[in-house]
Amino acid sequence: MTLHLTEPRTDGAPVTSPESRKPVPRKSRRGSRPGGSSIDVQRKKLLIPFVGPAFVLYTVLFIVPALGAVWISLHKWAGSGPMKFVGLDNYGRIFRDQLFLSSFGNTLLLLFVVGTAIFVLAFALTLVLRDMAGKKIARNVIFFPHLINALVFGVLAGFIFNPGGMVNSLLAPLGVTDPPKWLAQDNIFPLIMVTLVCTTTGYFTTILMAGVDRIPPYYYEDCALAGASAFQRLRYVILPLTWDVFGTCAVLWTISSVKIFEIVWVFGGSSGAGVPPTQSWTAAVYTYVNAFSGQSTPAYGAATASAVLSLALISVLVVLLRRAMRRDAVEF
Amino acid sequence: MGKTARHLRPLAALLGAALALSTTACGGATDASTAAEAVDISGSISGQTINYWSMWKDGEPQQKVIAAAIADFEKETGATVSVQWQGRSNTEKLVPALNTNNVPDLVDGTFAKLAPVIGETGQASPLTSVYSYEVDGKAVSSVIPEKFTSNGVFKGEDGQPWMVPYSVSSDGIWFDAAKHPELKANPPATWDEFIEVLDTLKAGGSAPIAADGDIAGYNSTWFVTALLRLKGAGSFKALVEDKSGEGWDDPAVLEAARKVETLVKGGYLNSGYNASKFPAQQQLWANGDAALILNGSWTPTETGSYAAPGFEYSSFQFPAMGDKPASARVDFIGFAVPAKSKSQVPAQRLAAFMLSSKYQNALGTEAKVLPVRPDAPVAPAVESVKAAIDAAPATHLQNDGVTFPGFMEKVFFPKDDELFLGKTSADEFIGKMKTAQIQYWKDNS
Repeated sequence: MTLHLTEPRTDGAPVTSPESRKPVPRKSRRGSRPGGSSIDVQRKKLLIPFVGPAFVLYTVLFIVPALGAVWISLHKWAGSGPMKFVGLDNYGRIFRDQLFLSSFGNTLLLLFVVGTAIFVLAFALTLVLRDMAGKKIARNVIFFPHLINALVFGVLAGFIFNPGGMVNSLLAPLGVTDPPKWLAQDNIFPLIMVTLVCTTTGYFTTILMAGVDRIPPYYYEDCALAGASAFQRLRYVILPLTWDVFGTCAVLWTISSVKIFEIVWVFGGSSGAGVPPTQSWTAAVYTYVNAFSGQSTPAYGAATASAVLSLALISVLVVLLRRAMRRDAVEF
Repeated sequence: MGKTARHLRPLAALLGAALALSTTACGGATDASTAAEAVDISGSISGQTINYWSMWKDGEPQQKVIAAAIADFEKETGATVSVQWQGRSNTEKLVPALNTNNVPDLVDGTFAKLAPVIGETGQASPLTSVYSYEVDGKAVSSVIPEKFTSNGVFKGEDGQPWMVPYSVSSDGIWFDAAKHPELKANPPATWDEFIEVLDTLKAGGSAPIAADGDIAGYNSTWFVTALLRLKGAGSFKALVEDKSGEGWDDPAVLEAARKVETLVKGGYLNSGYNASKFPAQQQLWANGDAALILNGSWTPTETGSYAAPGFEYSSFQFPAMGDKPASARVDFIGFAVPAKSKSQVPAQRLAAFMLSSKYQNALGTEAKVLPVRPDAPVAPAVESVKAAIDAAPATHLQNDGVTFPGFMEKVFFPKDDELFLGKTSADEFIGKMKTAQIQYWKDNS
């Protein structure tokens, strides 16, 4: 679209007219100059020097390794030494592995449950923060947790939730003598989910706020005049006008949630000194343990098979999400 | 369309170039498992250089001892050692390096970490010449206790040793001898005596055993050691190797699980052990809030900074059961030389050099770890462990040396955790393990 807008129009038609997209006038020029307009020629000349380096780097660093991973996933391999071709066995095996399925289930929990919580909260915060006094400070405060390394939360979890930790010490004077076993293996994953909501909401709130700030104030004045409620304002003004921002955020969350690893690793398993309890594994942790747990012969085939499946999941979800979120952006 | 095609052509050319570039850059996995021969390492190595990837980080006590040894080695032989103090992740970095021709000449690590990546994949040089090389006028093989090597743990598929240990670690049930002199004078030798001790401690109002239940490797020590006490060293590995899973029907295996269950049901474990985060429980123990902890020979170093004033480290061995001679756990830290290394001779010479008594003594007295040589002195805190190793007729590795891909992390640890954390009974544990093991071997053979 934008390319057309910059092209010189020789037929004098208005830019917005669909007629201008017809190649009729250019056809006549093409007869005399086969390369198209001089700008076209220039653009083609610049394609290789401009796109080339990025393209080569991207191919070497991302596409080739990804294809390499697919290749490895068809083998039984300890990371070095002989590779044994096993076809799709690794995929069959991980689909039969209850542990992979539960890890994958956890990844989906993060993606959908945590994702929903984050966006509901982020929109709520956006509405509150827009009219709040000192909103800049508030924005920084809620963004702050996102800057902190996940390792810190892993270590803090110990201080806060250990049997003799902060929470239980605070509960004791309130007469709670038998507090829940916060860090029991089954409770670790819910704690991780809560932590992720707390740390990530601020990040997306900030991005959404940027989108909301673009909305001209007269729309809100209109709303006020029309007597719209806060919800109606969200439904008819804010959501439609920030839909593209929201869509980008949803894709960002999808991609990052499937890769969530370090917070699981440090929350359980003693901040990385051991392997976390299997109840809290995500697909990324499953991948890592297969290849790098350091406690047994690495199984690179199974690890890459699970990584390839995660990649496939992200790709499918992103495509679906883009389709579901597709709306014509409202120009304002 | 025409326009797109014109754009695609240069892109296709670029893609071709990129692919060509990347294939030459990455090389791909080459088959390196060519049977290497032991080399003669006695000649002069003056002027030669080796690359050493160390498991120690700059400033660690062991690093200081090794750095001093390297300085002496360079002076004595004229060889140059280029060291990267990489820390514990050196084995993880080794894996990709082994697929290239740019390998380190010498690496060190624990047996448990080196065996899966270099020992069992046929990527290590045979170090037979190191074992016959003389340090302090004695062959290396004669300064390493025979019980460490007699079960053939260091032997690769070609029957030749691929690892030379310079230090060991072990475990024990640790206590404060200042607070419990009676345990030092008269440690419980059998399981029944051990339970008596626990009952006495419990009656005295203190928690008998502290345990960081979030570390599966610590939890598993209870079941695995109990089984080794009942059936001898190597029995856990044999049990796990059994593809039919029938080994789990052995009454002795159930007996071992029952012992763990006794500890859980008997309330001998400190409350909260099943919902805490390492190192909370070992801190409690070091503060004197619990009497005993089953942990490694590194416990005095690891808890030294927060131990109660006057804490006197001592330990006794996991109690004996039945009439089997009790083996001591011995995990090895040592050197391996990748088969692709082009500086085999100086690398192997440095491995032998660390076995000189000067550096072995320094490991014991300065780094305060257990040197592999039994004639080297050790720090007072680990004397009890050293005595136990010296007295044991045989040794076993952590988890009895089981390294089958994913078995411990995905099959054994989760179920053993359930047993140790009190979520399943001994009988349920046996049933679950049997089923899971049969499935594991169906998927992995």
